[in-house]
Parts: sequence; structure tokens; C-alpha cells
Amino acid sequence: MSGAPESEIQLLIERARTGDTHAFEELARREERALYRHALRIVGTTSDAEDIVQDALFSAWRSIASFQGISFRAWLFRIATNRALDQLRSRKRRPELPLDPPDDDEVTWAEPVAPGPDLTQLAGDREALAAVEAALEGLPAEQRAALLLRDVEGFAYEEIAVITSVEIGTVKSRIHRGRLAVRNTLISRGWRGPEG
Amino acid sequence: MTQEHPHAELSAYIDGALVPAAEAAVRGHLDTCALCRAHVAELRATVALVHALPDPVPSRRLVPRLAAPPAWLAPLRTLMTLASGAAVFLFIASSLVTNINFLASSGAATTASEASRDAVAKQQAPAAAGAPTTTNAPAPAASPNAAFGAVSPTSSQAADARSAATDDPQKRADQATAGPSGAPGAVALNAQENARLANAEPQRSPLVNPLLWLTLAVISGAIAIALHRRLRSTV
Repeated sequence: MSGAPESEIQLLIERARTGDTHAFEELARREERALYRHALRIVGTTSDAEDIVQDALFSAWRSIASFQGISFRAWLFRIATNRALDQLRSRKRRPELPLDPPDDDEVTWAEPVAPGPDLTQLAGDREALAAVEAALEGLPAEQRAALLLRDVEGFAYEEIAVITSVEIGTVKSRIHRGRLAVRNTLISRGWRGPEG
Repeated sequence: MTQEHPHAELSAYIDGALVPAAEAAVRGHLDTCALCRAHVAELRATVALVHALPDPVPSRRLVPRLAAPPAWLAPLRTLMTLASGAAVFLFIASSLVTNINFLASSGAATTASEASRDAVAKQQAPAAAGAPTTTNAPAPAASPNAAFGAVSPTSSQAADARSAATDDPQKRADQATAGPSGAPGAVALNAQENARLANAEPQRSPLVNPLLWLTLAVISGAIAIALHRRLRSTV
């Protein structure tokens, strides 16, 4: 997402590991916006999302010696995602959103109720985007996190498995269920899927 | 695989996350199943919509400031805190001084005007007392016959003398104020008021202006708070 050459990022990481605060701040600044949008869509409130990202970046700086195995970006997202999910778990007010849905829950494909606009024509449609936002909010948080890591941040399934500390099969299941739920929400609002 | 719809595999299929054998199987199924092709298209459209969500922007900088602050920052914060406190003290002190000055000078003005009124009255009293003594001298000398007739000139003389006596301080007051003549007491009061105002204005120094100290207190306080936040935002 940063668009900078990989070698430049590697150099910054090496400098940050040796205690170069400016190098770390530069690395953090590149991911600040992405981490924020990710945290915001998980927890739902701007002030919480800002605190989570700030804490996550500070925590990353303190534990930079332990960084290894995955990309630096995935490592930052791992810290931020964990903090965001912890924040949701500590909230007792939203029992209607189970974090871990039962895995044997049967996945169904809602059928269009009436002919509507083509989903593929809606990419720029505000109404459709609002419907997608609403659908995402209704997802279990861990499905939402996996879906966002894949479809917004572009992480591979293997990286998402490391970021969220689950098996790759669980990642696959969460992403699929999340997409299906968003698709079903859109269909239930009268949109008709593209002809395949 | 072509008999049962590979629904659960479709998301992984469009992400290219299936092992080659599974991917080939799904592709083979899609060739023959319009329903699954439609579902793949719907999932792709869903992914595109999620990806197109607008980016929110944080309201503040989220990258922690890790670099150690300049060495002079902490002493400057202390200095600004102390300066703010001192300015608050000076603000209170200067406003007290100003108010005391004001009260004292207005008090002095009233006593001065009372004193001048007394002075006018004292000047009137001897003049009025003097008039009868000068006119009384011929009065006993006058014959009892002429006594009745002499009463009116003496009383009129006394009245003239009295008016002449009151004219005197009035003229002096007029010269002092160089203004239009009025009642002697009022003129004297005006003169005192003018003198007080004329004396008070040049005395006021900018250092005694409470607003100056209030402004300095607010400015140094704001700087101290800003420096404090800057220091706290670092590790």
C-alpha cells in the first residue's frame, strides 16, 4: 500500500530495529491511515479507533525487537487487529454480536426478491456503499476483520491466518461467510446479482 | 464435484487461494453450472464494493512521537508555568493598586471640595460680620428720629457689603477655573475634579495596567500547557 520500494522499507525497518525513532515514525506514518480505517470498521467509533492505532503503534515500537516472520505491515495489522478485537470483547453492551459464530452454521444464498440494479454497476453508488457499511457492521467482528484484511487491505490468506492467529481453514470460512452476508444484505435490498 | 455446488470454495476460488487440484475442479464445475457462475459474479461485485468503501481520515496524528524532546523543552515549560503564576499575581496586585488609587483619589476629591466649601463659607462669614460692624458705627450715632429712616440705608448697605463680600471669592473661583461663573460651591467642586483628573492621568504607568498582566498570564499559561502536552506525547 505504501508504494515505496521494498528495499527502502527494509532499510527503514533495519534502522528502526537499531533504535532509530525517525525510521520507525516514517514506517508508522505509511500505515497510519490504513490501520485507522481497519480499526474504525472493527470497533465502529472514531475515538476508540484512534486510541487503538496510537497504542498499537507505540506497542510496536516497544516490541520491535520481536518483529520477525511476517511482513512489517502484517505485523502492525496483527497488533492493531488484536487490540481492536480485545476492545470489542471488553464491551459488554453488544451481546447481539457474537465474536465467534458457530462454525456449523449453514451458509445460505438468498435469492433476489425482485429485479433490481446490477450489483456490478454499483461500485460508485453511495446507497450501495452505505448498504455495504451496514452489512459489515452486522457481521461478527472476527468475520469482519478477516474480510477487511482480505478485501480492503489485500493480505493473503496465509498472512491473515498469522494476523488473526487462526488456522487457514478458519480464515477461508470467515472471509466467505462475511462476503456472503454482505451479498445477501444487498440482495435483500432489491439488488439483482450480475448475470454470470 | 460437478454434481454438488462448491459454494464454500467460491470465495477462495476468486482469491486464487485454492490448491491447484481444487481450483481445477471448481473451474470445471463453473463451466457447466450457471448458478455458480452467477454466485461468483456476485461475490466479485461484493468484493469490489467493499474495496470501494470511502477512506475515513483520523482527526489527529496517530504516530507516537518517539524522538526525545529538545533538552530545553522541560525547563521552558517550568519557566512558562512560573511566569504564568507570577503574571496572575501581578494581575491581582496591579488591579488592587489601581482600585485603591481610584478610591483614594475620589476620596481626596470629596474632602478637598468640602474644604473649599468651608473656605468659601469662612470668607463669607467675616465679610457678613464685617458689614454690620462698619454700618453699625453710624447707626447708634443717628438720632432716634432718623433711626427708622436710617435702618433702610444701613440694611441696604449691609446687603451691598454682603454681596460685595460674596463677590470676592466668586471672582477668585472664576479666575481659578477660567470658566463661566456659577454657584461658588459648584465651581470649586468642578475645579477640584478637573485638577484630580489632570493629576491622575499622567501618573498611570503601563506596568500598573491589570490587562497587561492578565494577557501575559494567559499567553504564558497557554505556552506552558502546549509544552506540557508536547512533553507528555513523547515516550
